[in-house]
Amino acid sequence: MAVVVKLEPDFSEGSISYNPDGTLNRNETKSTLGPHSRIAAQAAFYAKVKYGARISVASMSGHVANTALQQAMQTCDAEVLHLYNDVLFAGADTLGTAETLKAGISKMEGKMDIVFSGHRASDGETGQTGPQIAWKLGFPFLGHVISYDVNLEKRTITVKRLLSLQGMPDVIEEVEAPLPVFIAIDPSYKHSFDTVSERLTSEKYQREAYERAKNYKDRLQVFNSEKLGVNRGLIGLAGSPTIVYDVQRVPKGKATRHAEVLDGSNPEHIRKAVARMREALSAMVTK
Amino acid sequence: MTQEYYRHLYVVIEQIDGKILPVSFEMLGEARRLFDDFNARYSSNEKVVAIILGHNIKEMSKELIAYGADVVVSVDHPEVKDIRNIIYTKIISQISTDKEIASKIEPSYASEFKKPRYMFFAADSIGRHLSSTVLVELDSGLASDINKLVIRDLEVTHQIKTAGKPVNFKKTLEMYRPDFSGFLWTTILCLDNRNNPVIERDYSPQACSIIAGAFKPISPDPKRIGVIVDYVPKIDEKDLRVKILSRKVIESEVDFESRRAVVGFGRGIKDAPEKNIKLVEEFAKHLDAEIGISLPISKNVYPASPSISSTYMIPARVIGTSGRKISPMLYVAFGISGASQHVTGMEDSEFVVAVNPDENSPIKDQCDIFIKGRMEDIIPLLLEELKQQQQVVQA
Amino acid sequence: MEKYDVAIIGGGSTGLAALKQLSNLGKQAILLEAGSKIGSKNISGGILYSKKPRKGIVTNVEQVFENFLDDAPFERKITKYILHSTSKDKVYSMDLTAAHDYQANFGYSVLLNKLNSWFAKQAVETAQKFGGGIIPGVHVKSVKWNEDGTAIIQTDELDEFEVKAIIAAGGVNSEIAEMTGARPKFTPMQLYQGVKVIVKLPEKIIDERFGVSSGEGAAHLFAGDVTLNHIGGGFLYTNRNTLSVGAVYHLDSQLRNPTEPYRLIDALLKNPMVSEFIKDNVPVRADIDKSLPQEEQLRIRFAVTKLIKTWYDVRENHLSSNEKDEQAIADIKAKLSFVQEQMTAKYNVTFKTDYVEAEYGAKLIPDGKRCRMKKPFFKNILFAGDAAGRGIFIGPRIEGLNVGIDDGVRAANAVARALDKNDFSESFLGQYYSQSLEESPYTMDMKQIDQDYLKIFLDAARDVPKDIIGSRYGPILKMMSNRTLRGIAVKFANVLGYDKLLPMIESEDTYVKVPIELAERLGKSIPISYSPSILSIADRISKLSYNDDHMPHIKIRDPDSEYMKKMVILCPAKCYSEEGGKIMLQHEGCIDCGTCSQETDWKHPRGEKGVNYQYG
Repeated sequence: MAVVVKLEPDFSEGSISYNPDGTLNRNETKSTLGPHSRIAAQAAFYAKVKYGARISVASMSGHVANTALQQAMQTCDAEVLHLYNDVLFAGADTLGTAETLKAGISKMEGKMDIVFSGHRASDGETGQTGPQIAWKLGFPFLGHVISYDVNLEKRTITVKRLLSLQGMPDVIEEVEAPLPVFIAIDPSYKHSFDTVSERLTSEKYQREAYERAKNYKDRLQVFNSEKLGVNRGLIGLAGSPTIVYDVQRVPKGKATRHAEVLDGSNPEHIRKAVARMREALSAMVTK
Repeated sequence: MTQEYYRHLYVVIEQIDGKILPVSFEMLGEARRLFDDFNARYSSNEKVVAIILGHNIKEMSKELIAYGADVVVSVDHPEVKDIRNIIYTKIISQISTDKEIASKIEPSYASEFKKPRYMFFAADSIGRHLSSTVLVELDSGLASDINKLVIRDLEVTHQIKTAGKPVNFKKTLEMYRPDFSGFLWTTILCLDNRNNPVIERDYSPQACSIIAGAFKPISPDPKRIGVIVDYVPKIDEKDLRVKILSRKVIESEVDFESRRAVVGFGRGIKDAPEKNIKLVEEFAKHLDAEIGISLPISKNVYPASPSISSTYMIPARVIGTSGRKISPMLYVAFGISGASQHVTGMEDSEFVVAVNPDENSPIKDQCDIFIKGRMEDIIPLLLEELKQQQQVVQA
Repeated sequence: MEKYDVAIIGGGSTGLAALKQLSNLGKQAILLEAGSKIGSKNISGGILYSKKPRKGIVTNVEQVFENFLDDAPFERKITKYILHSTSKDKVYSMDLTAAHDYQANFGYSVLLNKLNSWFAKQAVETAQKFGGGIIPGVHVKSVKWNEDGTAIIQTDELDEFEVKAIIAAGGVNSEIAEMTGARPKFTPMQLYQGVKVIVKLPEKIIDERFGVSSGEGAAHLFAGDVTLNHIGGGFLYTNRNTLSVGAVYHLDSQLRNPTEPYRLIDALLKNPMVSEFIKDNVPVRADIDKSLPQEEQLRIRFAVTKLIKTWYDVRENHLSSNEKDEQAIADIKAKLSFVQEQMTAKYNVTFKTDYVEAEYGAKLIPDGKRCRMKKPFFKNILFAGDAAGRGIFIGPRIEGLNVGIDDGVRAANAVARALDKNDFSESFLGQYYSQSLEESPYTMDMKQIDQDYLKIFLDAARDVPKDIIGSRYGPILKMMSNRTLRGIAVKFANVLGYDKLLPMIESEDTYVKVPIELAERLGKSIPISYSPSILSIADRISKLSYNDDHMPHIKIRDPDSEYMKKMVILCPAKCYSEEGGKIMLQHEGCIDCGTCSQETDWKHPRGEKGVNYQYG
């Protein structure tokens, strides 16, 4: 089993740091395991407790990803940590990233039955990488997964997926697929261990994971492009069809209404505002 | 004339249980506008091609033509009744590279045709994944969550793409992606590798997924004429290995539809998130209003107790292009600056009141009453006044 | 259904000792704790004693947890024990270190979150070997019995499961005790209400201010006007780099004349002696210019937060006793002045004398003299520690943790014996345990007055003018100061029993009037250098960490009752309010103390829900 995690800036106050121009100062801001990746790691941990799965974790980016890998290891008691680090990987779009991660996951020992990823990242990633890795691996991709169970005899997985579509009520879809699969975990994912024995196992692994993660470096394997054996034309900037061409401010939309401006410190104005609100609500408007 | 291997704009339509999703019509509308202009400018005859998969969907092809498609490629098959990623990806990729279909779309371009020039998908639970896998299969680039599109000839200098030399890229699709605050636009281009001694590559189609609500559909014209291509897919048994066992509709706890009033809050809560949300809660209770939020709030960047954040800071409450579109009789926006992505979600409200300390914030142009002030100061005043006026009525 | 040998309900010091002991004996036991993490629901005064009674045997913490002395995260070894009588700015102090040392191996100040986590770590390592362990986040809601006598445990979180015996160590508000009818709820007469705040103070400042060497600490007790006329008193214990400042009062005294519990803490904090003990140098943020662009304001706020955090960290390091070479000391000093310079020069941060409060908490404490369970078992359930109403509160002798640990061990031994003989009947298991508790020196101390212990007070009070106490305790005093008469008097008192003596001793005279008079006549005036900005209860509650449950765990039975009206004042978390004569509850801020449980349907919050203490 593999978990793909992503390192993200820690957005909490006190940890975050800004450059004078207002942009994020990535060097000073602490990095952490992204919340979506954390949920993915938790979901993988479920398989470890329930089915005795062996877990490997994979992450891209520079040396700072170590923290994320350690946190991921604490969360899911991974046995192998993969880090893909090479200047050639830099600047990749989702297609280029997917190629690297595919190569890495294929390099993992043993057969991967389930690959987990987060839903998307909170600092701008788009949720495309997961399905693209899956396609390159030839695994069915199941997104928005809120719970899952594996049938070890039949070698199948059953998942529940939460689909939200514009103008439609949300749908929970139950899907069955043969292993191996790639699943992306929805933020609302939840699992529970319902028996004493599962809970004891879970507590045991968690404790051990925490201890083991102190020496996470023993399990860390770092790969560059050569070690991964990837085609240089398919990774990094060269393997990325898309580029960011420009960043600009979104211009103000055209005024569609003409607002009456009231002063919040004037009681008369407050009275008026409330009266207008009540009027709006009582109006006999048929919509 | 140079050869053109990549032609037309393919739009991947989404339908659920026989109902076409609104975002599909919106994409067709934008495709139509872009291509009317495109064909005029480049004196070409390229087509807007809608791809639809489903079962018993015969009627829908005409509807898609009425909404702007020149050609509809329809796959009517029991195995594609519900959306499943693998089989959908395979069939859409087949259609996108099929010369026979290309000859039915526009015979004069068919002999050279390799792949679509552009492709649109919806940026939703279905399209976001489908676009990703289709574009791996077609080996090209994808921009996601787009809300503005421009086609033009562009001179670009790029370290890798052009080996640092300026190159003119014709008919380039500029894809604009808003960041999560809604105030910054990133323009993404999908470009071939040119002038590069090492890796010369074509990247087509130029594809994107489009945010629901970002574009307007055209008014449907039932008399529009178009070509309908019924495509019989080649189905490999192993691509059907994912089985849908059940689908269950869940009712949302958030009810924007039946309430007469909706109260929204945004980043203005930042100085005291917990306290301010409680104020909004009380205010909404007095108006019997549902509570909505702007997109950034759903990202959990503001600290609040778990009960507050799990009740209010959730995607189901987001009003805007990446959330719900509302049209209550009264909408009150507290501490919302009015990013266009939010405005799209609330602009159909009958009467809009905004409370914001900054008179220059864009929300001012989208409301009927603008109260200048901080929400923590204004809400208690409004509440007190509201109670008083309600008492008067009761007496 | 899954089957296990023993379930321990409650992961406090008592339950953890029971788990460790059972595991030491090679038995399989699982411990269920409602908090999300062991220690998160635990709070104590807290001093943990190890005792060496002259008669009888107790099991001490270092015997159950072998490497306690080498490895446990206790705070400081208490080497000074002083009782202060207060009146306004005057304080009269009596050194009771001898009483603290009496029959003691040691007394360490502790913080329960840390300590119980450590206990858990030790216990679970052993428990695992025998198929047992600890399961946090599980709230037991009921127990049923099979025909063969085995118990079925039902929880809010897990599938039900079967066990042969149960050790109930769920604390003073044990639901199992009430549910099974093993004992009625404790009455206010049998309870103390304790409230406590944790004050931050760097390690070296504590060493210096309290005149103790590194690793050693002081305990200060307070009576007099700080009690606001209640029966009880205040305390201040030094931890490694925090202080525990608390107030403990009889709940019935509180019900007679209700005072907000946090006001009792405030009264203590405002006492000049305490104010001076807790003071520190505190950074104050400058107001941010509101005319700046919003992004800039945000940037400044985040930058200042980060700097202040760094400043505290560096200073903590600077003033801690970690071994450092000279270079390291110089580096830290340089960094500290650099950060401080940045704060003042760049962001106009100023410094003032104040105190830093880190955590507020409350708990009920069973008064062992009055509520010790006479039959501490029901079927195959044994009750231990607070759940069995056990704890020693005799004058300044305040012991709870060591009693719970000893109980836990006794319960574990009784269960292990029952497992060996596969007999879990009341006559074999329950009676045996009950007998073992009766023989415990901690129980004996509740029944008999120890004249040697008494003498320590008489010696300490040598300098007190006879007329102050003479009018109240004259005859007793006269008897007690004479060696032969003292023996007779103690015998006589023991015949009378604590029940009859208590009202004489635990009175307003003892805790309020005498100390005030002492302070006024003999006390030294303590100059005060600042006035602490004491946190409001709202701020205190908002600093606590909660995992709110939308389902209330407390239900009011009668919103018109007099008792519930008093809860508006007496709830330490201010969860109750009165609207139109009716009492309303807002359960979200509840800190699970149980003060209101007398007249409510009171349950612990479900697994992982409710308050999570960081210190305890």
